[in-house]
Amino acid sequence: MLISSLGQGLLWVPLVIGVFITFRILDIPDLTTEGSFPFGAAITISLMLHGQSTFVATIAGFIAGCLAGIITGILDTKLRIPSLLAGILTMTGLYSVNMHIMGKSNIPLLDQKVLTSYLPGNLDPDIQTIIAGLIIVSIVVALLYSLFKTRLGLSLMATGNNKAMSSANGIKTDRMIIFGYMISNGLIALSGSLIAQSNGYADIGMGIGTIVIGLASVLVGEIFLRGRSIIVRLLAMVFGAIIYRLLLTVAMGLGFPPDDLKILSAVILVIVICVPIIQNRIKTKRQLKQYLSQLAEGENYEQRDEIRNISSQKLTKGILSGNRE
Amino acid sequence: MNTIAGTLTADAGEIDLADRNVVKKPVSYRARWMSRVFQDPKMGTAGDLSVAENLVLAQSHTHTASLRRYKKADRWNRYQELLKTLNMGLEDRLETQVKYLSGGQRQALSLLMATLSKPKLLLLDEHTAALDPKTSHDVMEITQKIVTREGLTTMMITHKMSDALKYGNRLIMVQDGQIKLDVSGEEKQNLKSEDLVNLFQD
Repeated sequence: MLISSLGQGLLWVPLVIGVFITFRILDIPDLTTEGSFPFGAAITISLMLHGQSTFVATIAGFIAGCLAGIITGILDTKLRIPSLLAGILTMTGLYSVNMHIMGKSNIPLLDQKVLTSYLPGNLDPDIQTIIAGLIIVSIVVALLYSLFKTRLGLSLMATGNNKAMSSANGIKTDRMIIFGYMISNGLIALSGSLIAQSNGYADIGMGIGTIVIGLASVLVGEIFLRGRSIIVRLLAMVFGAIIYRLLLTVAMGLGFPPDDLKILSAVILVIVICVPIIQNRIKTKRQLKQYLSQLAEGENYEQRDEIRNISSQKLTKGILSGNRE
Repeated sequence: MNTIAGTLTADAGEIDLADRNVVKKPVSYRARWMSRVFQDPKMGTAGDLSVAENLVLAQSHTHTASLRRYKKADRWNRYQELLKTLNMGLEDRLETQVKYLSGGQRQALSLLMATLSKPKLLLLDEHTAALDPKTSHDVMEITQKIVTREGLTTMMITHKMSDALKYGNRLIMVQDGQIKLDVSGEEKQNLKSEDLVNLFQD
């Protein structure tokens, strides 16, 4: 069980990093996720059924996701549609596109070679998934790490952080946002393609709830691994994806039927949003108490009130406002 | 000022910048020759990025999508030298996220950033208005120092008469969208703050 959720978790990493790029770097909750995930799966599986190799089909899935991201990006920046709505529009449109590609709502692979088939056959399938997952995750993390070390990556981060300042410094912010959407959805579609290969089929409904899974994994990762440097943040996403799978596996082990997994995902998301806020509150209270007991020796009531005011202001800052000022 | 910077579209008229008509060009295009310091210290810097990263963004307004690595030791050393001239203790904080700096530090950094690319035109949009009197004075002094050192053409908006009189070599007073006064050189030197107040009341 543990081993299999580790493997599955690794396959979800590109999705989590994709959601991280829009949600944390660009500060946009992007619902295109729910459409680009099955889009990647549909493209990959149907290409494989048409005789393409798994490598070509997987890369095609990634590129398809990039295109979906570009569309949302253009809707958002050039047509000035609010980002949430832009994502919903692309997601809805992609439903029809996916149906056309697949022809029916579920297409299974027959005896095509998937990525794991290229690994030694005497290995356990779970180990195969882990090896394939590790290779892909390493490539993705390495590429993104070097991207964020370039001027392009810096411009991308600046755009998400302060758009007015970025354009005043010559950054073409619209292009940066479209670029961010593109990379993000490419990775999400890559995840869809990998999951479909692992499951052995593509399904029209496989995108439902993926944004919640993505967001929850991002937040779980940030709870377990905190840091400002980009490599730590990317690794946090890897851990987030794996830990989230483990949580779901544990829940399934407790006897939850698969149909209840969606509501469970939603509940997990609510919890991981609240945990850091509560953690913060407890920490502030403890510090305040310490400070007050020091002050009590000097009996300085005026200052005490002042400090109480300051600390209560700080409490309003929650995890979702992480990127904002 | 917003029309010059490009955040507001001009209804009529032309804007020439560095021998180019830029009236229909976006902010990012004009930024090749122009820098701006905003009134709000938070506007001019990216809070989540470090001091050094902000300076990288400001140093060159072209090649913003380049695939070259931006972190270089000699560049970092140069930034440290420049930050030392601000006397704000920023030289030891290259890796600090800008959001942890004080308003005055942030504004001084914005100013250094705006002048780093040696723009043909520097816009100062009431850049000391959000600061306390002491910091405001310090930032004005730094402004004067950098502008004279680099020889920058600068346009500053201010509501503080004393600053308007003390700094710069041409003064334009605008009220209700009309130019009320346009003096330069010696005439400006002889201007008194009472004269301006009287003009406003007319």
